[in-house]
Amino acid sequence: MSDNQIQIITDSFWPLLKAGVVYTIPLTLISFTLGLVLAVITALVRLYAWDFLKPVARFYVWVIRGTPLLVQLFIIFYGLPSVGLTINPFLSAIIGFTLSVGAYGSEIVRAAIISIPKGQWEAAYSLGMTRWQALRRIILPQAARVTVPPLGNSFISLLKDTSLASAITYVEMFRRAQQDVARTYEPMLLYCEVALIYLLFSTVLSTLQNIVEKRLDRSSVS
Amino acid sequence: MIKLQGLHKAYGKHQVLKGIDLELPKGKVLAIIGPSGSGKTTLLRCLNLLEVPDKGAVQLGSVSLSFQEGVKLPFKDVLSLRKQSGMVFQSFNLFPHMTALENIVEAQVTVQKKSKHAAQLRARSLLEKVGLADKADSYPNRLSGGQQQRVAIARAMALEPEVLLFDEPTSALDPELVEEVLKVIKQLAAEGMTMVIVTHLMRFAAEVADHVILMDDGHIVEEGAPQEVFRQPKSSRAVQFLSRLAE
Repeated sequence: MSDNQIQIITDSFWPLLKAGVVYTIPLTLISFTLGLVLAVITALVRLYAWDFLKPVARFYVWVIRGTPLLVQLFIIFYGLPSVGLTINPFLSAIIGFTLSVGAYGSEIVRAAIISIPKGQWEAAYSLGMTRWQALRRIILPQAARVTVPPLGNSFISLLKDTSLASAITYVEMFRRAQQDVARTYEPMLLYCEVALIYLLFSTVLSTLQNIVEKRLDRSSVS
Repeated sequence: MIKLQGLHKAYGKHQVLKGIDLELPKGKVLAIIGPSGSGKTTLLRCLNLLEVPDKGAVQLGSVSLSFQEGVKLPFKDVLSLRKQSGMVFQSFNLFPHMTALENIVEAQVTVQKKSKHAAQLRARSLLEKVGLADKADSYPNRLSGGQQQRVAIARAMALEPEVLLFDEPTSALDPELVEEVLKVIKQLAAEGMTMVIVTHLMRFAAEVADHVILMDDGHIVEEGAPQEVFRQPKSSRAVQFLSRLAE
């Protein structure tokens, strides 16, 4: 490796890391949080809402899971302006990722709710709780523990998927790397470098995930 | 206190309860016995509407409701009847994410809207009553089956129900843990708690109950004081059932 190449690596490291911390991670956190809210609402609608709403939720999950995330982002960012709706890259990315987490997450949440034994509902009902009270106080807290491992995986997937936002011109970490490549003509070096930073992020996250899971394991719930 | 009239329940074509009439005065203990599939658990669950009867009338404490096929009861009526009773399940059904104390506090706060402090005081006194004052902060998975069931009894009593319902409360327990649960139930009986107990334990039923009904195929085939039902059964079904147990 030439001195020049080493120079390029060290010069681009901090800007890349910074782009990760300032753009990629917030994009991931915001989309995931909003997506989780959407996932819980969608799961509850599919399980318990009025019958006319259930097909709406099913349709949403079907469309999002059945089409590529990249295509969805393109429709939001490049497609919607032609019907008079122009959304900036950041917001487009947030919308796209939120819808995605909402759809996949709703299946995880739904499965977790269904997995709670019927006896828990019956015990809550026998104490005079309404369905909403039983859900909020008894069922959802137990379901939440069940969802930690699969949702942890979704979170790490999302962190990597945010690189797709580069395709709709949002300058997150990967787009930043592309710009550096355009300037330096060192694709191998810089793409490997950015890959390593993603690896660093996801390793930290899976370590955190393991700690949370262990802690949940120790505190109660057989 | 408890009054059932013409209670019917079917699952699809299968008739589980075929017209049950029953009365139990306040402070008495009713034991329901009979072979599996005879409808005894369904009958018990109709008392707090975990199963909604198709036809007939249920009176529990100060609330009475009547049922007709195809007519859905307003949920507030369902709740008002449920609040008359507390239920103890065969498999305990404690809330695993809450400590013993929190299990007993929960409905007092969410359903009765009591203050947390008042609810905890009552929960502690109930835990003491079932002999588990020292287990207040234990999670259910740290308790033996017998201890879990005693917490479940305390939880069922938390809202001061008029009636306690027991669905085979010792069937899921190891033999050596049965006695501690029976002891609590006997103590409640001595204190004048109105109770309905579905059980397979004939000796326990004879000892604790004031009134016994024997069910078979959705009917009450024999009823009376325990000594009558167990010593001088009148129906041939009862004679058959009891003699099979004696073998």
